Amino acid sequence: MSYSSILEWITFHNPMDNPFYPFGDLYNLPYDWAYKIWEFLGGLVAWLINLLFPGNVVSTWLISDQVVNVFALLLFMLIIFLVVFVGTLLSLWEERKVLGRMMDRRGTQVGLKGFLQCVADGLKTFMKENVVPKKVDKMTYMWTVSLVIGTSVLIACMIPLSDRWFVVSYDTGLLIIMALFALAPFFILVSGWAQNNKYSLIGGMRAAELMISYEIPMLILIGTVILMAGSFNISDIVHAQYDTVWYFIPQVIGMITFFWCSIAESERVPFDLAEAEAELVEGWQTEYAGMKWGLIMLADYFRGYVACAMGVILYFGGWMLPGIGDLNNAMPEIVFLLKTWLMFFMMIWVRATLARVRTDQILNIGWKIFTPLAVINLLIVVLLKFGGVF
Amino acid sequence: MAMKYLDKYPKDTAKGLWVVKPMWTVMKLFAKVIPRRSMTIMYPYEKEWIPDNYRGRPGLQFDKCVGCGLCARMCPTACICLVETTDDEGKKVKRPQVNLGRCMMCGYCAEYCPVDAMTVTPEIELAEYTREDLIYGPRRLRFEGVNEMMEVHIEEHLISNVQKGILDQPTSAFEVDRPVLEEAKCIGCQKCFKVCPVGAIEMYEAGVNEKGKPKKIPRIDTDKCICCKNCVDDCPKSCLHIKEVL
Repeated sequence: MSYSSILEWITFHNPMDNPFYPFGDLYNLPYDWAYKIWEFLGGLVAWLINLLFPGNVVSTWLISDQVVNVFALLLFMLIIFLVVFVGTLLSLWEERKVLGRMMDRRGTQVGLKGFLQCVADGLKTFMKENVVPKKVDKMTYMWTVSLVIGTSVLIACMIPLSDRWFVVSYDTGLLIIMALFALAPFFILVSGWAQNNKYSLIGGMRAAELMISYEIPMLILIGTVILMAGSFNISDIVHAQYDTVWYFIPQVIGMITFFWCSIAESERVPFDLAEAEAELVEGWQTEYAGMKWGLIMLADYFRGYVACAMGVILYFGGWMLPGIGDLNNAMPEIVFLLKTWLMFFMMIWVRATLARVRTDQILNIGWKIFTPLAVINLLIVVLLKFGGVF
Repeated sequence: MAMKYLDKYPKDTAKGLWVVKPMWTVMKLFAKVIPRRSMTIMYPYEKEWIPDNYRGRPGLQFDKCVGCGLCARMCPTACICLVETTDDEGKKVKRPQVNLGRCMMCGYCAEYCPVDAMTVTPEIELAEYTREDLIYGPRRLRFEGVNEMMEVHIEEHLISNVQKGILDQPTSAFEVDRPVLEEAKCIGCQKCFKVCPVGAIEMYEAGVNEKGKPKKIPRIDTDKCICCKNCVDDCPKSCLHIKEVL
């Protein structure tokens, strides 16, 4: 067997030519990158093995369509997660800095203008002892926190950053994200019960109370947007906004209401009843120590990121900017993330301004203010639809 | 009949929406704050400017001090005591020693010092490894770069001046108040003469006592006197007292 050049092993194919391409007719940028990375790495390994054992089976197996697809999918998951993770850490950093400046402080100072504070926090919580109290219900205690963190990370990864940067793009994409988003309060309630602690129990109850007050208007608002766009598909909603106007113009009431509801959904100040650290010593998180708590905090920021991203998708045109034509294809992901961070800035602003609402006020706010506003918004949209404007 | 909570604070749903005003205030403040640097000072690397008469640790000008002990008497936390040391010429003198672990930096010692030997200093970083290290002896209390701003004074307006309409001439109590003697009580023990730190008292022959022996009574040189009250305190017959000038 003669020497084969490395160029015969590393060939950059179009991933869409692969018969096992998982995204149908849609081009997927991170999958493309992952595919090319694996073609390079796998090709290199295959070439090396082929040098040692010419004509073996493993080399051809490594660069066969199926195997490249599997490894490309693994790398694809990694890329998607890393981008969301870094984006969330950046929003955490933004919160620290902006909140600091709003209070006339400097904010965090650790490395890279304070960005490395997140890393320092992660390392610190990682090195803490894994304390589990004696009298907790261990199974529920561990499962609920895992599910809260898991669903948060899952929905954060499921938010598409653009037409070419998505995990799944199918016709009920919005619905499944909202369904998973609304799951956390159930786990919080069960977790508060499982921890055998009065603070946690009150925190869990409050999470449930919070959920019954904001979930209805929020779903009505999402339904309104879906009615206006005529589709559950996130990509379709964004393109419908690009074709007409951003939906915050006809639905300004809905936008404001959704903003407050999404603050409540991600349990941030002024709706952080469940973890009211002043009254309830971190509420339902009281008994979670070390890395569990660190991951809960990270999940909180994942949920904040998702709430902002949903606001951007539903009301601010997603990854498209009007009036720049084909330039929209240049860097839609960056545009989307910038819009998300701008939305997050608004959340930080609210956090810097307002105090936490009382438990008796939240139901009033949810049912007497948010729900009527959502219904009024729905009526406006229905009138616009019947009037033939949209 | 007790007032119901809802009567006192009626529920106003429209008011609940009114979060715009505080948010507007915060944004205004943010816009005002963001162009300039923040108020936080990066402490170990940059320090705030400290004025000269800042009440830091006490400092001592060893040669100016007369050892009158007024600082030790005035100290509210009793952290000053007089210790015996040798001055530059080898003479035994009494000088204050300050326990900075107890000092509360009020600056009274500097304010009450009649000769302005005790000063306040802008030195505030005083951390040490042991408590013993916090006790500053008379030589260690010296502060480089002492200037007249650090010599803080206690001054008062005399009532007579105020009545005359002079309001811009504060007077130091150490310049006008002087001890006076009740000669009848004096037994001529010379304690005041021995205890005076500036040698303002001299004893002179003044007749005889009731037993017919000659006795010496003190005469106070009002120019030299610094009004440290040591003679008043040490007098066994309480025949000296400070005459306040009003």
